[in-house]
Parts: sequence; C-alpha cells; structure tokens
Amino acid sequence: MTAPKTHKTKTYVLLFLLILLGSVGNTILSKGMKDAGDLDISHVSSLAAGAARVLTSGTIWAGIAMMLGFMVCHMLVLSWADYSFVMPFSAIAYALVPLLAYLFLHEQVSTARWIGIVLIVLGVVLINRTPHRTTPPGTVSETSG
Amino acid sequence: MRTASILIFVVVTGTGGEICLTHAMKLLGEVHDFRPRAIVSFVLRSLRVGWLWLGVLLMAASFFSFLAMLSWFPVSFVIPATSLAYVAGAFGAKIFLGERLNATRWAGIFLICLGVGMAWADDLPASFHYPSAMAIARWAILALALGPLFYYLVGIYSAWRFFRVAHRRPSQTPQETRDTPAISMLKPVRGLDPDAYENFASFCRQDYPEFEILFAVNDPEDPAVPVVQKLIADFPQRSVRLVVVEERLGPNTKVSNLCRLVREARHDLLVITDSDVRVELGYLQGVATMFRDPGVGGVTALYRGRDSLQFIAAMDCVGSSAAFCGAALVARELEGLKFMMGSTMATTKERLAEIGGFEAMADLHSDDYELGRRIAARGYRIELLAEPVWMAFPSQTLGAYLRHELRWAIGIRNIRPGGHFGMLFTHGLPWAIAAACVAPSAAIAASYLAGYFVLRFAMAWTVGVWGLHDPVLRRRFWLLPIRDLLSFFVWLASFGMKRIEWRGSFFTLEKGRMIPVAPRAGRL
Repeated sequence: MTAPKTHKTKTYVLLFLLILLGSVGNTILSKGMKDAGDLDISHVSSLAAGAARVLTSGTIWAGIAMMLGFMVCHMLVLSWADYSFVMPFSAIAYALVPLLAYLFLHEQVSTARWIGIVLIVLGVVLINRTPHRTTPPGTVSETSG
Repeated sequence: MRTASILIFVVVTGTGGEICLTHAMKLLGEVHDFRPRAIVSFVLRSLRVGWLWLGVLLMAASFFSFLAMLSWFPVSFVIPATSLAYVAGAFGAKIFLGERLNATRWAGIFLICLGVGMAWADDLPASFHYPSAMAIARWAILALALGPLFYYLVGIYSAWRFFRVAHRRPSQTPQETRDTPAISMLKPVRGLDPDAYENFASFCRQDYPEFEILFAVNDPEDPAVPVVQKLIADFPQRSVRLVVVEERLGPNTKVSNLCRLVREARHDLLVITDSDVRVELGYLQGVATMFRDPGVGGVTALYRGRDSLQFIAAMDCVGSSAAFCGAALVARELEGLKFMMGSTMATTKERLAEIGGFEAMADLHSDDYELGRRIAARGYRIELLAEPVWMAFPSQTLGAYLRHELRWAIGIRNIRPGGHFGMLFTHGLPWAIAAACVAPSAAIAASYLAGYFVLRFAMAWTVGVWGLHDPVLRRRFWLLPIRDLLSFFVWLASFGMKRIEWRGSFFTLEKGRMIPVAPRAGRL
C-alpha cells in the first residue's frame, strides 16, 4: 500500500493506547464496582447510599474515563485502518493480562497457558505483516470529511 | 441449546456492532488532526452517523449478554468460546466492508483464536471477577430513569426564570411612541384554518402607528382569497395586500412565497407569522420593543391553544404547551435560543440579507428552525416575546396527528441528530415504567412513578398554566401522560425513517433538505 510512515506510526500509537486503556479500564471498573459493594435497593435510603458510593468512587470514574478513551481511540483508528487488522491485533491484550499477572502478581502460569500466549503473539506478528488498510480511501465516503 | 444460542448472540451482535462502527468511521474519513479540539469535533460529527448508533446499540447488547454469559459459565469457557468472534469478524470484514484478507492475515487470526482458547481455558485466579449482568442492567436503568426527572426540574427552573420577568414586563408601552419603526407583516397562506377571518383581523387591529400586511397564496382559487379580500374591504385604513405567487424556488412553497413577500415589503422590520396565529393588540409593539437592542437579530414567540374541544386537538395543544414550549424554554436557558418558531419569525431585511435571504433556504424542511439558527450563527441573539401568541388546533384524526408529529420528529432528527437522541431523556413515562419494572421493592417502583407524575405535572403547570395561561392545558391536564406515551412511540418510529409526507407530496430529508420522491417509492 501507499501508506506513508506517519500513517503506520499513528496506527501503532493508537493501538497501544486502546489496548492499554481497554484492559486497565476494564479491570479498574470491575474493581470499583466490587468495592462499591452489592447494591441494596430494598430501601430508598440504602439505594441513595449505594448511589452515592458509586458516584463518589474515584476508581469508577477513572474506569469510565478510560473506557471512553478506549472507545475514542477505537473510533479514530478505525477511521483508516482495516477492522480485520485492528480486531485481531487488539487480541494481544489476552496475552498481556496473564503475562502481567505472572510478572507482577506472581500468579502461576500453566504450560497450556504459555503455549496460548506464544500463539497469540505469533498471530499478532503475522497480522502485523499485512497492510493496515486494504480498502481504497474514499470508496465509502458519501460525505466529504 | 441455551449455551449455543447465547454464544451465537454474543458473537453476532458484537461483530455486527463493530462492523457498523467501522463503516461509520470509514464514512467520516481518515483522521489526520489529533489536537483535542479536532478529536472532539470528530466524535461530535460521528454522532450524526446512523451506523454509529446502530453499532453502539449492537455492541451494548453484546456486552450485556457477554456479562450474562459470565454469570452462568466460568471465564475459562466464556473467553475461549467467544474468541470465535475473531473468525466471525474476519468474514464480516471481508463480506460487508470489502477488506482484502491475504493468507498471512487469515493465518494470524487462526493462531490468535487458538491462542486465546489455550491461554484462557484454565480456570483463572479469583482476582478476575465481573459483576453480574442483571445487577449492571438494573443499576443502569434506575440511574438513567432519573434523567427525565432531572429534565423536568430544569424545565420548571427555566420557565420560572423566563416568565418571572416576562409577566412583569408590560406588553403595551403606549407612552413611548417615538421608537416605533414601520413594520411589514408577511403571511404566507394556504387553505383556510378555523376562524381564519378573526385570526387575520387580529393583525389589522394592532395598536401600532405604521405597518402593512402582505398575504401570499400560490393559487388564485385558494379558499383564503375571499377572506383576505373581505379583510381589505373591512380595514380600509390599513395597508393590506394580497400577492399571488407563481414562481416556485424549491419544494418548500412557504419559503418561495416568503422570498417574494420580502421583495414586496416596503419596510425594514419583517414580522412573519403562520396563517393560524392570532395575536393580542400590543403584539407589534412588543416585537418592535425587542429590536431596540441592536444585538437582537430575531424575535420569536411561544404559543398557547385557543379553546379546542376535540380530543386529539386538545392533546396536540397540551403537547405543544407543556412539551414543546417547555423544551424551547430549557434550550433558551441552557444555550440561548438558536431557532425560531413559525408562530412568529421577526427579523430585519439587513439580517436576512446577511444570511443570504430566504432564497438560500428554498429546499429546507424546517425553515423556521433554520432562519433562527443562521441568524444566531452570525452572532445575533434570538429573543422570545413576553406574551405568547394564540394558535388554533383544528380537529383532526389520531392518524393525522401521529403523522404530523412523526414528520416533526424526523425533521428534528435530520437537523439535530444529537438533540433528537437526547430527547430520550425527556420521555419520563417510559423510563418511570422501566424503572418500576426492575425496581426490587414496591416502594421504589412507586417512587419512580410518583416522581414522574409529580414533576411532569409541575413542569406542565409552570410552563403552560402559570406561564402561558393556556386555557386548554388547564382543563385537559390529564391528557398529558397519554400524549407523553404516544410521543415516545413517535420518537422511536422516527429513527431510521427519512420519508415524510407534506401537503400530499412525499419527500426524503437529507441534512434538512427536502428531496421529492415518487409517492410509491416502496421505501420508508
């Protein structure tokens, strides 16, 4: 393809951001919801207290902000890159999560999981050898950008 | 069986959603500018693309069913199973998006699928936990259902802010006779409304030194012609003229007529009103007073219904006072008026020339909205008359009412897709019902329903009865929930519809422009 160098660089920067924001945002949001505790909606007062807990939880807001950032990066990168490039590429998160758990949380990693991680990385390496965009720009553009 | 169907649902909705999203992004074109402002404007532009909304809807459906799946099965099954989405996505990209996948990419996708399966087939440590889908959905509904209640509160506040001043301001200022610029009133007319003569005469009787009234019809045989002629005979001291306009500049005949009337008008200050409007004696003085401020580029008016006894007409009227005028007051309070209403469009020839005249709007559907938007875009303020005008709500069938509302909703979606979507949070009744359904206790369910009724009626009372002095709303209060429910279904139906019927002809709307279509295009 006629992709110039900057074209590739911005794809990598955005993919990096979206993988980072997506996995960290997801984890933080789950943690925030768990910390806020189960929602007791049997009384108005306990519902209000639960709502206040969620709304004042910095963790939840950080998680929401990250998920929004993830969505924006996703939209931006898809404005030029192939879906069939971005989608499998971002699967590297599924290799990174157990890898990070091994490195930082010292969790056990079984042989099967090691093989899986290697396969994902290999797959992403292969995907990376294909062009970022295979549809000619402007083919679907009914509106001039 | 349940396992297979939910797995298929998660994969199909997720992949479909992302494909719609990708298509929307490709429609918008490649982003080159990454400054925060440019990114914000890109995101705002994307909200206007229907494919994006479809994509987000499908992705949300997929996400919730994914969470539901996680609450039924272990992660070690769910993630490997849903990694099928990589293969589904690749096929989707090839078929729907026309992407060319070479052997290397297929091999990569296959390896990733396999890898995710192997890496996640073991049970994961307990640190990996999702809240249950049901809990999240319930939370979301209970939280979002507060939106309309908040909107009603903002509505009450906005109406209070406006009418507190408006009620104090005397509409007639007879002592200040020196600042009364001559006014041309323009009235494009087609057919006869109930009490047409009385409506027209209310303009002739204006307590104002110098003004003229210009009527325009397209057809010399129009039933309004004899009524206007009687008016000319009955008010010989007033300058009243009738113009038969033959030229048509575009599908919006009202705008074609206005182009001609503006050329015919002798005076600089133009006051345009729909044919079914009736006004009080001090109306013109009120408009002229507003234009004393050089920052004001346009003046428009709220409206109230005259006695309408028929059921559907009363419902239309109740909706206009309580919902539409309420929304206009909220818009005024939050961002200043950036539109006008057909009840009154007053501006000057100079302002009109700055925006290219009515000639620039001949194929637009919502001319009143556009006129205000364009004047506001030039940096002028749009002001609201202190006193609302009277509007006739003629008897009609339920079908005609719904078609009219639908045409209006499609028009709004076309010119302000974001605002149209935001109307989701002005529909209090369906939200209250949804919240009541998921509420775990009867007390909470009742609180939501009571919250709707109390705040809804409080807003309607503040806007319609206290503010507008609408006699119909005062007597037919109870129609409001019925109207709200109908209006919610109209709003739902307006998604995905482009074709409108207007005065017997069919059009599709593209960015507010009317494009004529054959009546039996077979497409809605």
